[in-house]
Formats: sequence, C-alpha cells, structure tokens
Amino acid sequence: MRKGLIQATDGFERIVHWSLALSCIALCITGLGMMYQSLNFIGDMMGGLKSLKYVHNFTGVFFGVALYFTIRMWWKEAGIFSMPEDLEWIRCAGGYLWHVDKVPETGKYNPGQKMFFLAVAGFGAIMFLTGLMMWFPLSFPAMIVRLMYVLHALGFVVIFAFFFVHLYLGTIGSPGSLDAMLTGWVSRAWLKKQHPKWLKEMEEHGTLVVYGEEKTAAKGHGH
Amino acid sequence: MEKELIKLIDTTKCTACRGCQVACKQWNEMPGLKTKQWGSYQNPPDLQWNTWTLIRFQEYVSDKGAFKWLFRKDGCMHCTDAACVKVCPSGALHHTEFGTVGLNSSRCIGCKECVSACPFDIPRYNRETDKIYKCDLCYNRLRGDESPSCVKSCPTGALTIGRKDAMTKKAYARAKELGGDANVYGDKFVGGTHVLYVLDEKAKVYDNLPRDPSVPFSIIVWKDMLKPLALLAAGGVLAGSFLHYILHGPKLPDEPGPNEPGKEEKGGE
Amino acid sequence: MTNHYIDLKNSDCILIMGSNAAEHHPIAFKWILRAKEKGAKIIHVDPRYTRTSARCDYHVPLRSGTDIAFLGGMINYIVNNDKWFKDYVLNYTNASFIVGPDFTFQDGLFSGYDAQKRKYNKDTWVLEKDSKGIPKRDMSLNDPRCVFQMMKTHYSRYTLDKVSSITGVSKENLLKVYEEYSATGVKDKAGTECYALGWTHHTTGSQIIRTMSMIQLLLGNMGICGGGVNALRGEPNVQGSTDHAILYNILPGYLKMPPASLDTLDKYLEKNTPVSKDPQSANYYQNYPKFFVSFLKSMFHDKATAENGFGYSWMPKLDDGVHYSLMHLFDKMYEGKIKGLFAVGTDPAVSSPNTNKVRKALEKLDWMVGENIFNNETYSFWKGPGVDPKQVKTEVFLLPASASMEKEGSQSNSGRWVQWKYKAAEAPGDGIPVGEITIKIMAAVRALYAKEGGVHPDPILNLKWDYTDIKGRYDALKVSKQINGYFLKDTVIEDKAAGTKTEFKKGQLVPTFGMLQVDGATASGNWVMAGSFTATGENRMAKRGKDDPTGLGLYPNWSYAWPVNRRIIYNRASCDIYGKPYNPKRKLLEWVGDKWVGDVPDGPWPPQADKEKGKYPFIMKADGLGALFGPGMVEGPFPEHYEPLEGPLAKNPLSGQLINPAIEIFKSDLDKVANADAKFPYVCTTYSCTEHWCSGALTRWQAWLLEMQPELYVEIGDLLARDLGIRNGAKVRVSSIRGAVECVAMVTKRFKPFQIEGKTVHQVGLPFNYGWLFPKDGSDSTNFLTPTVGDANTFCPEYKAFMVNVQKI
Repeated sequence: MRKGLIQATDGFERIVHWSLALSCIALCITGLGMMYQSLNFIGDMMGGLKSLKYVHNFTGVFFGVALYFTIRMWWKEAGIFSMPEDLEWIRCAGGYLWHVDKVPETGKYNPGQKMFFLAVAGFGAIMFLTGLMMWFPLSFPAMIVRLMYVLHALGFVVIFAFFFVHLYLGTIGSPGSLDAMLTGWVSRAWLKKQHPKWLKEMEEHGTLVVYGEEKTAAKGHGH
Repeated sequence: MEKELIKLIDTTKCTACRGCQVACKQWNEMPGLKTKQWGSYQNPPDLQWNTWTLIRFQEYVSDKGAFKWLFRKDGCMHCTDAACVKVCPSGALHHTEFGTVGLNSSRCIGCKECVSACPFDIPRYNRETDKIYKCDLCYNRLRGDESPSCVKSCPTGALTIGRKDAMTKKAYARAKELGGDANVYGDKFVGGTHVLYVLDEKAKVYDNLPRDPSVPFSIIVWKDMLKPLALLAAGGVLAGSFLHYILHGPKLPDEPGPNEPGKEEKGGE
Repeated sequence: MTNHYIDLKNSDCILIMGSNAAEHHPIAFKWILRAKEKGAKIIHVDPRYTRTSARCDYHVPLRSGTDIAFLGGMINYIVNNDKWFKDYVLNYTNASFIVGPDFTFQDGLFSGYDAQKRKYNKDTWVLEKDSKGIPKRDMSLNDPRCVFQMMKTHYSRYTLDKVSSITGVSKENLLKVYEEYSATGVKDKAGTECYALGWTHHTTGSQIIRTMSMIQLLLGNMGICGGGVNALRGEPNVQGSTDHAILYNILPGYLKMPPASLDTLDKYLEKNTPVSKDPQSANYYQNYPKFFVSFLKSMFHDKATAENGFGYSWMPKLDDGVHYSLMHLFDKMYEGKIKGLFAVGTDPAVSSPNTNKVRKALEKLDWMVGENIFNNETYSFWKGPGVDPKQVKTEVFLLPASASMEKEGSQSNSGRWVQWKYKAAEAPGDGIPVGEITIKIMAAVRALYAKEGGVHPDPILNLKWDYTDIKGRYDALKVSKQINGYFLKDTVIEDKAAGTKTEFKKGQLVPTFGMLQVDGATASGNWVMAGSFTATGENRMAKRGKDDPTGLGLYPNWSYAWPVNRRIIYNRASCDIYGKPYNPKRKLLEWVGDKWVGDVPDGPWPPQADKEKGKYPFIMKADGLGALFGPGMVEGPFPEHYEPLEGPLAKNPLSGQLINPAIEIFKSDLDKVANADAKFPYVCTTYSCTEHWCSGALTRWQAWLLEMQPELYVEIGDLLARDLGIRNGAKVRVSSIRGAVECVAMVTKRFKPFQIEGKTVHQVGLPFNYGWLFPKDGSDSTNFLTPTVGDANTFCPEYKAFMVNVQKI
C-alpha cells in the first residue's frame, strides 16, 4: 500500500504538530465560547463556562509548550526565507491564485508555509504571553492588562483566519498534503509538485526515505 | 427605559456614619474581615470582595487654606455604557430593567476581565470563590419595590433613589442650591451612570474618582472592532477558500500522463 | 432634652458643643440637617474637627475643659451688646430678684467656702424676700444687687482677650459664634444647644450646662420650638435608666434618695417639699409628698400605712455627706471595703476612669455577678494582662442576659418619649431578660429571709413582688403598670377649675400624676410615668399615631412623653404674658379664650398677666421663674471657669482658684495627678466613635463593626506629629502619670494646636472602645490614662481633659 511513498515527516514532528494544532483548535473553540455570549453553550458541554475557562487556561499552557517545540523544531526550515527563490515564489503567490507556468522551486517549506509558520509562532507567542497576563490580571496595572486583551483578540483574528487557510490548503485545497501529517508518507508526485526543490535536495543528500527501500540514493529521475 | 432608576449620593449630607457600608454587608450576607488600623477611619482601606460600598475619608485643604473632611461613598456607578458588561464573557454582568448593572454570580467565571475594564475600579475578585463581586444596587430589593439597603440605612437623606428624570433634576437643583464648586457627577459620561453624585468640591479634588471616565479605548477596539473582525476574517478565508476551490481548483500533483500544465487552471482571482 | 429630637428641625441656629452629634446621634443629626436645609446656622465648637464638624457651617476648636470660659464670654457679649430678650428676661427669669447682702464672689470663690471640706456653706446664696415671703424684685434691673447686675459684673471678667487666651479660640471665631448665636435673642428666632458627654464628662460638667441654660434664658430660647438645652443621650434607653433611678442619689422620677439624718417621713418630706409664698408661682413640687408616698405604696403596698410612715423606715438611706458614685464604689472597693459586686450590662474594667485602680479594686472582691449578653474585660479581670488567676480569690458568676431586641418593654429616648417595643427574637441559649434574672434572684433571697430571718428582713419581706405572669416569668407589662400607678381604693377626683368630679375604682390605673394622693390611696412606681397608661389600661407608650396637628413635629399620638405627654417642657414661656405666641410662625401654644391650645401646657392655669389665677411658666421652680441665679449647684450660683484637675496651666487666668473648689479629690496611691507637668505636656481627651458602643464590649464582637474600627488609635495633629517624628499609622505609646496604652497614630489635620496664655498647647484624643479580651490585637483600655475625678454635683467622671505624653515605639 505504502510502497514507493516518501517520508515527509517523522513521528516527533507529527506529535508536535498535532499537539499544537489540537490545542489551538481547543483554544479557539473555548475562546469563542467566552468571546461570544451566544456561544456560551460550548461551556455547558464542559460542565459550565467556568470549567471552560479552566480548559482554555490549561490548554493554553499546553499550547505554549507545543509552540516552544514547534518553533525549535521548524525554526531553521520554516523560519528563514531563502532568497531569491522565495521572493519569486511570493511574487507569483506560489501559483495558488493565478496560473503560473513555472512556480519557483522552494525547499521543504514554501514561503507561504513559512509565513504561516511565522504567523503561528509570532501570534502564538503573543497569545500565550497575553493569555498568561489575562490569567493573572490583578498582578499587573489595569492599563497594561487592557492592552493584553486587545492583543489577545488581535492574535485570535489572525490565527483564526490563518487556521482556515491552513485547513483548506492542508486538505482539499491540496490533496495529499494531509498524509504528510497523518502518516508522514507522501507520494513522489505530490512531493514533486509541492516541494520539488526539497525532493531534489533529499535525493542529492541521500536523505530520501522511501517506504520499503533501504535508504539509498534515489533512482535517477527527471523532473 | 421606563423603570430606569438613579441613586443619588449627596455628599454634602453624608456624615460618614457608614451605616450603608454595614447595611450592604448585612443584606448581601458578606462577612466582616480582619483589618488593621492604618491611620485612617477608612476601613477596609479599599473596596474588596466583601465590601461593595466604602466611605472614603479624605482630609483636604483648598487653595485658600480652608480645611475640609470629605466623605465619598464609593461603589458601582451602574454605567449605561458599562465597560464591565461589554467585556463580561458569560453575561454574569448585565443590564437590568432598572438600567443598573446586575451581577448574576452563578454565571461569573472569575475571568476578572471586568476588573481591568471598569473605569471606576469597582469589581473585586475573591480567590476562594473564584468570582468577582460588586454592588448590584440590591437588585432583589428593587424587584420587591424596596430601596437598596444602603439607601434604607442612610439616616440623613444623603442617599436617595428614584426615577431617572426626577433624580437628575433633583441633583441639579441641589448643586445649584449649594452653589460654589458644587456639581453633579455622573450624567455626562459612559452614557450616564445610574448613580449620581452631588459633589461639594470639583471632581478632581476627590481621591480615586476619575475626572472624565470612559469605556477604555482598548475595550472598544477589541469588543467593537476586533470581535466582528474575527468573524469577518474567518468568514472571508472560508469564502475565499471556497472560491479558490471552485474557480482555481485544488493544487494537485502533476499527472504523470497528460502533462499539460495549466490546462485545468484557467484564470485566477 | 427640654425639647425633643424632631424639634431640632425648627431651630434657626444650632450650637453643637460638647457633642459629636453626627457620630454618636446619627438619627438626631438628621433633624439638625433638616434645620440646615431650611437655612439654620449650624455651629460646632469642639477641640477636634469631627464628622459633625464636616457637616456644620463651621467648626471652632477650643481647648478641652474651657467651655465655661467660652460660654461666660458669650453671656458677657450678650449683656454688653444688648442682645438679650428683654420681655422674656424680665418676666420669666429671676433677673430682677435681689441677691442677699452677704453673698460675695472673690478671686474665684463664692461666699461660704470651707477649703478643708472642699465644700460651700450656701447660707449666703439667697434671694431677698419681702415681708410676705415673696421675692423682692427690681423690674428696672438697675439695682446693683439684682441678679442681672450681679451676673453682668461676674461675667464682665470674661473679656474676648481673656476668653481667647484660656480657650485657645481666636477672637474672630469667638465673635463669629457669639454674634451668630445671640442673634436668636429675638422673639421670632430660636436657637438651641445640643450637648452630650463632651460637657458632662468634666469636673465642671453640670455648670457648663447651667451656663448654657442661662444663655438660653437671656435669649428667650427656653420653652420654645427650636430652642432649649438638649442633652443628646446615648443608647436608646439611657434616658429611661435615669428616669428610673440608675444613679445612687435619686429614686425613680428624680425623687431624692433619703439620707440617714432624715429618719422620719415627715422630716424627709419637709426637707424636700419646696415652699413658695408667691401666689403666682405654681411651685409644682409642693406635690412632692404625693409623689413620694405613692412611690412608697408601690414598694410596700398594703404593708405601707400612714401609721408606719408608709414604710419609709424600710427604705435604704445614704450616709450623710457620703457619695456612692461609680468612682466612690471603686475607691471603696480598692480600700477593700466592698466585698461583692453586681455588674449588670457594664464593663467598668474598660469604661471607668483609672483602669489600673479599677482592675486592682476588682481583685479585692469576694464575689462578682455579671449579667450580660457577652463576656467582657470586667468579668474576666482575673485572667487579664498582668493578673495571675491563682492569686485572685474572687468568685465570678456570669449570667446570660438577653439583648434589648430579645425582650418586650419600654425604652425612652432623649426627648422623653417612652416607646413600647416588642420582642423581635428569642434570646440564644439560656439568655433571659435581666428583669427576669432579678425576679429569680429576689425570689430566692426572699425565701431565704422568710426561712432564716436575718438582720433586717422587713424591707425584703414587705416588698410588693408579684411581677410575674401566669407561667412565673417576668412580665414587663405588669411592671410598667406598677410604675404608672394604681388607685388602691375607690377615689373621687375633683377638678375645681372645671367643676367636675370623677370616680375611680380600686385597681384602676392612675391616668395622670395630678391625681396621685398623699394619703396612700394611690401607688405609683415613678410619678413622671403616671399617665403612660390610661385609666382603662390602654398602653399609651405603644401608640403610633402619625398626626401632627401643629405642624411642628410634636406627634402627640406617637408614644408617651413624660411629663403628661408634654413634648416641649416650659412651653408656656413660648408665649408672652398674655398667652400670645412670641413667634406666630411656630405656634407651640396659645391662650385662646379660657384654655391653652397646642402642646400639653405646663399646667392649665392662665398666662401670668392674669394676676389672680395666672401662673409663671417655670412651674417646677419654687419661684416659678428661670434661674439666672442658681444656688442649687454645689460650686456657686454663677458658673465660673476652673481648670481641669490636670491641665497645661499652673494658674487659672481668671482667678487664684485653679480647679473646681467643690470637687472631691480621691487620695489612694493610684490617684496620681500631674498638672502643668513637663513630662505630660499634651492635653488629652477621650471619646467614642460611631462604629462602637462605649467600651466596645458589645460591638467588638461584631465583625462588620470591628472591620471598620479594628483597634485603638490616637488622633494627633500633623504639626505635633511632625515635631515628634511620628508617621501616620505608626505604633505609639500614650502615657499619663497613672498609666499607659499602646496604639496606632492617626496623624490628622483635624487637631490643631491652641495658643493658651501665650504658649502653644497641643491636644490629642483617643477613643475608649477597646479592651484586651477581644480582639487580641486591638490594644486595651484608654482609661489607663484618665484620672479618678468627676463633676462636683453628679460625680460624672472627667474623661475629657487630662494630660499625657506621646512617644514613638
């Protein structure tokens, strides 16, 4: 079944990713439950809005830890743009929005993903820090705390919007992507379409792991 | 609002007997807590979870050298544009049919957002119950057509309550009668408060009394702007994705066979 | 009060002096504010700026204990500036009377002083009478020996400069108050004075009040709406307790306690029944024998007969010349001469002066019985600070009493309104009313006397003692009816004026004290209360009518006011001699046709212009007139300023007599005094606060109140605090020569230094609401500081002026 598939992510990566993703989703849902009184019913499912508050707060801590590992893990791969190809990729929006004959080849993560990562890392950190202060508002001056609420909300606006972008592109917007984070194994065709440069790099560096094969230099392939 | 009420605090009639401070605790079944003498009659030193109303004692010397001992009954102002109601996630803080700001304690989740939001620094948090507390103008008494316990206890008539129009008029009439720096405080901001002061001195003279209170701008930004924006942005993304999907289509791996790039990708957005 | 609380609203000028009305009489203060809203001037004269000062038009600080100087200056001002109300002074006071030729006043002393005994022989303090025994008068007031001229001369020494130098009040402030207040000396203005413990707690307390009474007479403010001299009394029933003889020297209704020397009823009645030869003087106390015999009948009922002097010999007698005030009791206890003590609803280990002495005295008791709703420092003295329980022999019993709202009965407010109240709740635990405790103890004592006899069993065994209901419990209504009084036989009362005769049956209640009989036909436990029930048994104290026919707030159908439901006493003085109201806008009373209309008048007689039937207005005075010359007081007919026992001055600026010459000086080893002593340079005064009641023995247990005033503090002026380097909130030690107490410094602008005789004198003040028992960190009794000395007439202790030092710790 998996024969010929290529490993895109390892187990640790996936655990970190899903820790972050699920906690983020939980935070969004619980946060919404507190943000809109019409969604207070979400709290009822947890035994009351107060429990929801605790779920949100402690999930926030979990999120913070996951975020730490996420940043540490992906900082080098997704936190730094490589020029000039990333710039060109951005110029043509990675071919996502309009027809581009030749999308610049990017590495493991394309600039779109990098931007998403940076947004998650940046705003996630903001969410974590502001959230922490909102948890203990009496320890800080009211003026500062008031600002925290604004930043927390702003962070939510961004993360919530990006979440849907990510959801779309990770699923039906880019079929096959989901596998990278579910099983870790992707098809060569998908990889070639999405991350041609990375594929090349892996082939060149001999780091390509193909299911059911010894780790060897890949067979010659055109592209 | 037909039933809108206003409580008038005439500081010029207050003798700081603190009957209100005790009556409030009695009616609302709040305990007395351990305090220390700290060099003032004002005790507890500030509002706290069991102290929803507090007489503030202030020794004041005017520019002309005249000494005055000012008494001000501090407590919830029951704003029309109530920052606390705006930020309260659960609806525990809400407007009542009397225009006052009620507190449904069973709904309070102890998020303390109101604490930082209130321009008058009123709500207080109790760690043990993980809830906030503040004056609800004895909503349960108002419902029974009784005056709030503080008003009921006031021996001098410094505290009165009545229909909004009548009380506003009364306040202005009293300030006019007093003359000098006497002024009405409360009706000119946050949409008008449901507690009005007749102050003997200019508002700036009084400790812990904001001169020009307002709903903090940050709360307007987040509650009136970011909150809708969050839905708008998320909605926009969903709509965009949908359009993308039906117009641009998903980004599929290039088919090994009919390798005609761009064929199915007509146009963009 | 001569008037009543609500009447304060009718005043045009209210002088609050010797009182912190807003803090201690918050409800009374409502009426003061009502007056203020109508334009009245409210003046507060007090050493300290208080919550009362904050609501007055202005506050005038004066040094503690100099009130007579301040008021004497006002008399001088009124006389010199012609502010007195001539019609009133001439007709209604003894201003025109001629003072006896041997009466003198020299260098602070009146004639007849015995320095050895610290006592006056009053023989020269008399008014001259003509051959018929009627006082001589000079209606021109020019006779140099007339009361007016004598008074004028006496107070001419109280110049602005002098008064200012004694009191520390600036001359501007003196003039401001004098002008403002004396402006009420016209017929359509009313001025009133409110005092409380700030006057009574002085060695000169009674005379301060008398000075004010003189001012009120001079200004025509007595007996009128919005006028009078008004004692604001404490707890709801302080008035009631004095009416019913809580003090050692009176019997119920202010009848005199008999001394041993008056060994027969006749001697006693002769001594206490005033005589007037003036046909226009009602001399109401000529009825004294009726009141007293009725009282004896209430005590001993059938056992009291004309033959046995109505049981007069069974009444306890005071030793002549010996006093039995609280201070005397503790003095004798300290000497070891008192073996047992009932301490009912009291905490003298905190509230009595000179705590060290009081607590030492308690250790000398064999036994003590406490009756109270809480334990207190007195009942627990044997385990107090510095006391080794093993060394204390006293056996202490504490009986649980119910609180005032846990029992039925009457309570009397300062306005003499006796209001019936009902039980609101059951007492917790074994608590029962103190009345019931008394019933039970007395029943047991009587049984013992009946069984074993005893030294003097008659008073005990002959006492009428049937105040229980069918279940054998204390019956407040039964006691109250006995206080009101019964007809003990069928009696016909003849009203000569109206020409009517009414017959009352044996067992009917006496509807007014005018019907009390001298022959034993009536019994009345307290004559002023005769009328609190109707003849048919209706409880007038329970009346709650809200009608106010005069519009002056008299509310005649709300409760019962003694005497005879009169709301403002001496009210006939509100009208001119023809019975026309001086102030038609506040028509308290008016003679219409052949009767008085309005409040219940001081007697039915026509106004005094009717030379045949008319009577003077001050019917309780033998002469029928207000006394500017008042020989009843022990230290002189004209009040004179004396320094407190402990003060900052070594010499009285007014005379060679430094302190009140008639006060008793206690001489135990713990009665030390430090006058004008550099070691104790600051004047100190003590007081209560709104949040606690007296010693705090009841209120300190109440968490809401304790939260507001948790521990002892000393209020120190910011200038003194700066000099001493004391920060607000710091711990300090306040000490007098008698003792010391540690407390928190409250640095304030509300105490200002005084300029006294060219020197700066600072004053500090402390509340006396705390004791060691609870809370544990609330400090202890302020009365460690106070001296055992009191007023010369009443022995009310001097809590308000003494000397201390303040140190950082």
